[in-house]
Amino acid sequence: MSTHVVPDVTCLGCGLLCDDVALALEDGRIAGMAPHCDLGRAWFGDGQVPARILVRDVPASFDAALAAAATLLRPAEGRALVVLGPGLTTSAVRAGIAIADRLGATVDTATSPGAAEGILAGQRRGRASSTLGEVKNRADLVLFWGADPATTHPRFIERLVATKGTHVPGERTLLSVRIGEWGGPTAPVLTLDEAQEAGTLAVLRGMVLGRLASPPPEQAGLATLAAQLTAASYVAIVAPGEGRDARRAALRAEGLTALAQALNGPTRCTLITLRDGGNRNGVESALSWQAGYPFAVSFGGGAPTYDPGARGLHELWRADAALVLGDWRAIDDSALAALAEVPSVVVGPRASEAPFAPGAAIDTGVAGIHEGGVAYRMDDVPLPLTPVVDGARTAAMTITALAEALGPRGAGA
Amino acid sequence: MSHGTRLRIRGGAVHDPANGIDGAVQDVCIEDGRIVASLPEDAPVLDARGMVVMPGGVDIHSHIASSSCNHTRRLLPEERVPAPAPAGLAHGRSGTMASVPSTFTTGYRYAGLGYTTVFDAAVAPIMARHTHHELDDTPCIDAGFYALMGNDEYLLGLVDRGERARARDYMAWLLGSVGGYAVKIVNPGGVEAWKTPQRNLTGLDQALGSSRVTPRAILETLADGANAIGLPHPVHIHCNNLGVPGNAKTTLESMQALEGRRAHFTHLQFHCYGEGGGWRSAARELIAHVNAHPETSVDVGQVMFGPAVTITADGPVGQMLYGASGRKWVNVDVELETGCGIVPITYKDKAAVAALQWAIGLELFLLADDPWRTVLTTDHPNGASFLAYPQIIELLMSRARRDEALGKVNQKLLAGSALLDGLAREYTLNEIAIVTRAGPARLLGLAHKGHLGVGADADITLYDRHEHIAQMFSAPRYVFKRGELIVEEAQLRRAPAGRRLYLRPGFDEAVLPGVRRHFEQWGTMRFDHLGVRDLPGAPLGVG
Repeated sequence: MSTHVVPDVTCLGCGLLCDDVALALEDGRIAGMAPHCDLGRAWFGDGQVPARILVRDVPASFDAALAAAATLLRPAEGRALVVLGPGLTTSAVRAGIAIADRLGATVDTATSPGAAEGILAGQRRGRASSTLGEVKNRADLVLFWGADPATTHPRFIERLVATKGTHVPGERTLLSVRIGEWGGPTAPVLTLDEAQEAGTLAVLRGMVLGRLASPPPEQAGLATLAAQLTAASYVAIVAPGEGRDARRAALRAEGLTALAQALNGPTRCTLITLRDGGNRNGVESALSWQAGYPFAVSFGGGAPTYDPGARGLHELWRADAALVLGDWRAIDDSALAALAEVPSVVVGPRASEAPFAPGAAIDTGVAGIHEGGVAYRMDDVPLPLTPVVDGARTAAMTITALAEALGPRGAGA
Repeated sequence: MSHGTRLRIRGGAVHDPANGIDGAVQDVCIEDGRIVASLPEDAPVLDARGMVVMPGGVDIHSHIASSSCNHTRRLLPEERVPAPAPAGLAHGRSGTMASVPSTFTTGYRYAGLGYTTVFDAAVAPIMARHTHHELDDTPCIDAGFYALMGNDEYLLGLVDRGERARARDYMAWLLGSVGGYAVKIVNPGGVEAWKTPQRNLTGLDQALGSSRVTPRAILETLADGANAIGLPHPVHIHCNNLGVPGNAKTTLESMQALEGRRAHFTHLQFHCYGEGGGWRSAARELIAHVNAHPETSVDVGQVMFGPAVTITADGPVGQMLYGASGRKWVNVDVELETGCGIVPITYKDKAAVAALQWAIGLELFLLADDPWRTVLTTDHPNGASFLAYPQIIELLMSRARRDEALGKVNQKLLAGSALLDGLAREYTLNEIAIVTRAGPARLLGLAHKGHLGVGADADITLYDRHEHIAQMFSAPRYVFKRGELIVEEAQLRRAPAGRRLYLRPGFDEAVLPGVRRHFEQWGTMRFDHLGVRDLPGAPLGVG
């Protein structure tokens, strides 16, 4: 048995993108990771992925699959859907957007409804945020707002909170606000029903701004919290960044953004939203620089337009064909069912296992496991990826080859 | 036309001030992407009779490719306009126009303006990998960036301890690691203060916290460091107190602090407001210093009227503008290094301060003795889009046009303005060639750019003469990039990838263990993951 350890691997298991992971390999399989993390272990698995190429469920050559994919996609010019899923390097994402542009396609991403509402709140108000290192180095008060990173970002506390910072030599103040069933890592200083969340944030903001100098007795707890926040040197508010409840996420994102901005007067404040991994932020970044919008982009009119109220995967009846890039397993069940009704091509990890009978499926490796490149942390810091296990062909190369097979815009059917 | 081919551009009026050519009618010969002295008689010919021939434009200070630019794109979806792929381009990419266009569109529009070299002026080192990604998707232009160091915590520690040699080596290592071209200082010490209860540094000798770090010490250490490394472009300085009435005092003190040292002071207009309460121009005082000090150079940061967006690493400025305007505000603190503030803004000709800012920019141009050291920028998109360059050129070349515009703006703060004193100067075509290409290229130390001498990159722009100057400069008839014809009959025909302009300066590796310890202890990524490898092309030479 051959064993060795690969140090400093970047893990895309959550949005933290820990890049200090040591992977133990035995006979080419990932056998362990240190430090251990359940999400990380699930992300890496044993590093084995299929390497099949299928055309209408029959094994085919790479070139034949590309030709079949191009034949299937070209007639859908102007009415295609391109899905940019997780598990892609940023270079693969860039190549995927080029295909969407070429096809005049609508683009959908793995941006969850909750994450989308956070982006939209930012487009209404702006942001008060930072890279993660400012939490570590400056935040003497960390407020967990309905978020416990232990479950979603297991090493958040270890790496950023339970450690000294350049400006935090001693203990930090850790506060949690429980919202419904969602608590934080410490006993809650406030417990709210979900229906109370937005209103409470508004009152808290008013207190921070000094507009509610004499709160009623029933809000004494809030007044105490406001005083703690404004007395801190640098506040980090840690909040959920994903979720399927769009309405709740919208109200929360708006309220938290406004609160964080208000705190950047009496003190300093960063709002950290906990995003999922898989290079979701890389997809949104690349779409932003190439098209100008972070998600919900359509190239259908010959140039990008933005319709954040419409998500391509849930309006598949509009599409004559779909191209799924990246890990299809991030697609929800209803969209998977709808994909079965549309001619489709899948390029990405485990494409050959896609349950919706794609016309062509090309397995690729996974970003950061089999494929080198760059992925984005949840604070938009780009990190390098190093391949650690031999796997299928790279997604970046495959998507670029597919773009070449499609030919220039208007090449027709 | 591509590399390996030849072309004679025949009979144009050549403006090549770096080689002393001021409108002479002569041929320009291209071979293998470079300018050559001559070609065989049977070489292909482009008839340029009646046209003006200049080197490709060089933008010394713009914001086109950074995490801050991407924050801006996301912040303002309402201003974005679809920009289809250029009709004449075989594999063109669509995008969107806005204060910060999408990347492909940025490359196309710069090329369409006759600009072939552009530098992004503010990139946080840990975000450099992002900037390289964006530049990979910005065709037509050779491009690079300046790495932000004026609030780098490790460097501030060296400044505090007076370890100048180590500071020099750290600067060289950091710049080379991230693939940058020059060292940028933004609000020296003030961005670090923004992250603490101190909030800002407003005086050149104000200490950062309890340390011995002052803006003066930062300026001196980094300016000396950049010059000792032998960087082709000296330290690129955004002074303290940007946008604040009375800030010219700080600007002048900063210039005086660096007397005798090569230094570039950027978007001077935003640092040019006189003392005495309220808003007034200090253009005369500041440009007098620049005129008298050949080691000092500036770019103007001209304001033009219309919508814009302020993008800056100067966090306190972002907060100030948010407080004044109540508009959207992005603030992103960047660990160990810098900050980012973004606020949309609209410059209205009927607004007194905006009119003053517009006037100050023109004063700086018109009072400058040496156009080689006072070059054209809008600090895109802070003062205006780079697409406003033709209109600025017209204001500089035509007093009549300038006076007409002056008569329409709010006059409230213009008392004492040199513009009202009847500045009659009109820039010549050669002076325009200096402030838009020859001057910036020389200040950047780009020996192969900004001129049409033998061996220069064949980046060439040909304009049809036109009675409307802005129109002439808005739509060049031909643009060559490294000898390849990319704009033909004012239409973009080709969009090659540009060259990455970056340095890998040498340094004493003895600096690295300390840097590694600092980074591993206080950073959030592995030290070895900071460096950006596999950049396209080779680094340029240093020293």
